[in-house]
Amino acid sequence: MLFYILLAAIAIIAAIFLTPLRQKVWVTTGIIAALSVAATTLAIKALIEGRIVLATFTTSLFGAESFAVDKLSALFLIIISIASITTVLYSRGYLKGYLERYAEAHISMHYTALTILVASMMFVVMSSGGFSFLFAWELMTIASFILIPFEAERQNTRRSALNYLVMMHIGFIFLVIGFVLCANVTGSANFTAIVEYFKVAKPLPLFIILFIGFGMKAGLFPMHIWLPEAHPAAPSHISAIMSGVMIKTGVYGIMRLMQAIDHNTELLYTIGLIVLLSGIVTGLWGIILAAMQNDIKRLLAYSSIENVGVILIGLGIAAVGHAAGSGLIGMCGMCGALLHTVNHSLFKTILFLNAGNIYSKLHTTSMNEMGGLAKYMPITAIITLFGAVAICALPPLNGFISELLIYIGMFNGVSDGHEVLYSVAGIIALSLIGGIAVLVFTKLFGVVFLGSPRSTHVAESSEVDNLRIGAMAIPATLILFIGLFPQFAIRPIAIVAEAITGADKSIAVNHFEPTLKALSASIWVLIAIVLLLYALKHKLQSKRKIEQGPTWGCGFTAPNARMQYTGESFSEGLESIGRPLMKNTVDGRAVEKGEIFPLAHKYRVRHSDKVDSLLGQWWVQLMHRINEYVMRLRTGRVNNYITYALALFVLVLILSLVGIL
Amino acid sequence: MLVKLLNTLVMIAVALSITGVINRTRALCAGRKGIRFFQHIYNVHLQLRKGSVYSTTTTALFRIAPTVYLGATLLAFLFIPVANLEPMLSFHGDIIFVAYLLALSRVAIILAAMDTGSSFEGMGAAREALYGALVEPALMMGMATLALFCGYSSFADIFSMAQEMSVNITVVMLLVAYVFGVIMVIESGRVPVDDPKTHLELTMIHEVMCLDYSGVDMALIHIATWLKNAIFAVIAANAVAVIFSFNWWFAAPLAVLATGITIGVVESFRARNKLSRNTTFILTIVAMSALVLLTGFLLIQNIEI
Repeated sequence: MLFYILLAAIAIIAAIFLTPLRQKVWVTTGIIAALSVAATTLAIKALIEGRIVLATFTTSLFGAESFAVDKLSALFLIIISIASITTVLYSRGYLKGYLERYAEAHISMHYTALTILVASMMFVVMSSGGFSFLFAWELMTIASFILIPFEAERQNTRRSALNYLVMMHIGFIFLVIGFVLCANVTGSANFTAIVEYFKVAKPLPLFIILFIGFGMKAGLFPMHIWLPEAHPAAPSHISAIMSGVMIKTGVYGIMRLMQAIDHNTELLYTIGLIVLLSGIVTGLWGIILAAMQNDIKRLLAYSSIENVGVILIGLGIAAVGHAAGSGLIGMCGMCGALLHTVNHSLFKTILFLNAGNIYSKLHTTSMNEMGGLAKYMPITAIITLFGAVAICALPPLNGFISELLIYIGMFNGVSDGHEVLYSVAGIIALSLIGGIAVLVFTKLFGVVFLGSPRSTHVAESSEVDNLRIGAMAIPATLILFIGLFPQFAIRPIAIVAEAITGADKSIAVNHFEPTLKALSASIWVLIAIVLLLYALKHKLQSKRKIEQGPTWGCGFTAPNARMQYTGESFSEGLESIGRPLMKNTVDGRAVEKGEIFPLAHKYRVRHSDKVDSLLGQWWVQLMHRINEYVMRLRTGRVNNYITYALALFVLVLILSLVGIL
Repeated sequence: MLVKLLNTLVMIAVALSITGVINRTRALCAGRKGIRFFQHIYNVHLQLRKGSVYSTTTTALFRIAPTVYLGATLLAFLFIPVANLEPMLSFHGDIIFVAYLLALSRVAIILAAMDTGSSFEGMGAAREALYGALVEPALMMGMATLALFCGYSSFADIFSMAQEMSVNITVVMLLVAYVFGVIMVIESGRVPVDDPKTHLELTMIHEVMCLDYSGVDMALIHIATWLKNAIFAVIAANAVAVIFSFNWWFAAPLAVLATGITIGVVESFRARNKLSRNTTFILTIVAMSALVLLTGFLLIQNIEI
């Protein structure tokens, strides 16, 4: 098995490296398309027929393992396939400008790593656990590590990539510890063995260890700090695939754990609370920090953290409800979480790719240098608006459907009198997240695409090539489909939810389908009303005089583009509330109150995460301090060094005499 | 079907008369004779017949936004029952749908404001986005309180079930009505959060966002605001009607008179908040709604024990 995989890998690498520069993208597309088609076919088959075992083998470390597709893997395989195809198609246009600037090997390396990333993600979700899982997981980390510093000449990029690698390995260590613990007790580290472990040994420590390991990848608070660093550094299509699907492998892991705890209601209850609480904190933290960002990609990265939080709120509610004996709440939460996983992979891919469109034309991701882009890049603007409405969970698009399911679960919790307080906590968190998400994405869209240009680059930009737009149309179509026909989209999701929670999927069929059908009808009514109103308005205006003029300046006759609301000023109100969460670093000086005729000022403020300094900086400082002491030993004189060597020998001698060595 | 039609007609009547009552109350308080009761409708009628001026900075979004704003509000409007009548549309979970439809209408108007590139309108947009975000939990908790008492999450069921509760819920229902009343004040931009009659754009929230709209667009925005007022006023009135008399002929006049007179009196005797105080004001309502929910929860526990 391993031999064939290795052979295939070598063949793929050779194929990518040997093809001419401009054809590399097509070879990669071909390989990824083949993988995706195979994966999707398998996934659909697994959804209909149940678990399909592809290969079984024995490893020396953890015993028997296998590659198999069950219903949960099937869902993730489909997500991965869609995002990969979109990404690789998009990469042609995005990387075009780089082809001359970089060596051919650099480009080959990029495409090889992309292929390996896609394949390893597929293997992660197909692996039964144990060695093969850890192997694929590590391969995924390394492949993405190679992909992030594509523009390696920027120092920031290299640092972010390194930061990413370190963080991922901290997470990896937790996973290894977890699997070894499991193997120690049960003799195997498969996900099925974890079920055994939970039955025979103390379950909570293992759960927490694995939860941290998976949470690192998923970007759970406080382990999210790699995300806002890595995403802006990576090329946009890589951010898209990392944010859209790679962080979801962490969510996948957490779902597998919950599947393993199915039998023990008391444990499920505790774990549900842990997951719910971490979802609430992650979601709120992510969205408040997202509102503060003035860099498109950092903003999107924080919004990914928020969405993982929403998924976890759904999972937590599912577990709590299931443990309390309500199949309906369990089903609502789980379907909501699964559908939100799918939805987020779609709209986040779109949003990151749009950020890529902007970056490739303006060569910056700073929102405050944009404005009025909708006139120059109309299709990008429309697609971004699409993604923004979807991610704000507004009807008529797909984000609303998944959040609605989670809400229905929580409202059921309230009205049935099960777990009222937890449901209320979830409702408060989710509604606040939803409200702030509106602020975040109106800020993103308003500052970037609307108003007048804040820099001269904007006027030089133009729409991107058709292939990129075509690539983005794939997720956009699905967003529209799930939003307009939720009653069909819920069916496969309910099958997967049934496989995880063990609750009967007829609950979903009986309970949501009528709701979703009515919702779908209402959404069509909404569309009809809006169209009708527009037609009416058109008719009323057709006989009247329509004029054009400058924006009303409230009596001021010389407004300019710099007087517009910037991203910073848009979120100023929230910043004053959320100040304890962040650390502000200021460059230059703001205009003070006493200055009646202010001269030129330069003012830059950066809001960084407080957790970043709490988690990431103390150990750097510690290292610095230790280094200071150690550096005193480095005198540069040979005689001193000889003394050290002598001291070491004496130490060894004494230790061996005493009997320690 | 007839009941549904009656419900919609009553709702429309409520929507059309609240502004009239507010104007009349303000006039009485100030000792003026005041404008005609239906003057606001006549104004909108005039606007519908006028042409428009569009800013050259704007895109097509600016022209579509008012229709989305009104469309989303109108659809939300159709889900609201007046006491014992049936709403036009209803399904399980529609309370969430209504909340998000209102959010959709907010997004439309915020983006339209950003589209003009004006600093004043950006200011209004930023404030609206913040207040909208903060008020969302209060709205959801108000609805959760209703769901807690009534068993399920559709407007039509909630109020019809609530009747069968014991008298214990009087206080909670009154408080819920208060919460929805304040949410209405926040959402429609009334004193003390915002002052629709202010003469200075710098201090406006809601009005400043539509500075660049004229003619038909402005009319659509006005209509949407009436509908929005009616939605919250009727929900509040329903909560009160549960206690006294759960009939549409009680709830509808209550919705018009209670909210109209209260807002009119408040606007006559109270100045608007300093802008920086608004966040505190809204967060107080959020805390209040959490408290109401908690009280309700404790009451329910007692009843069951």
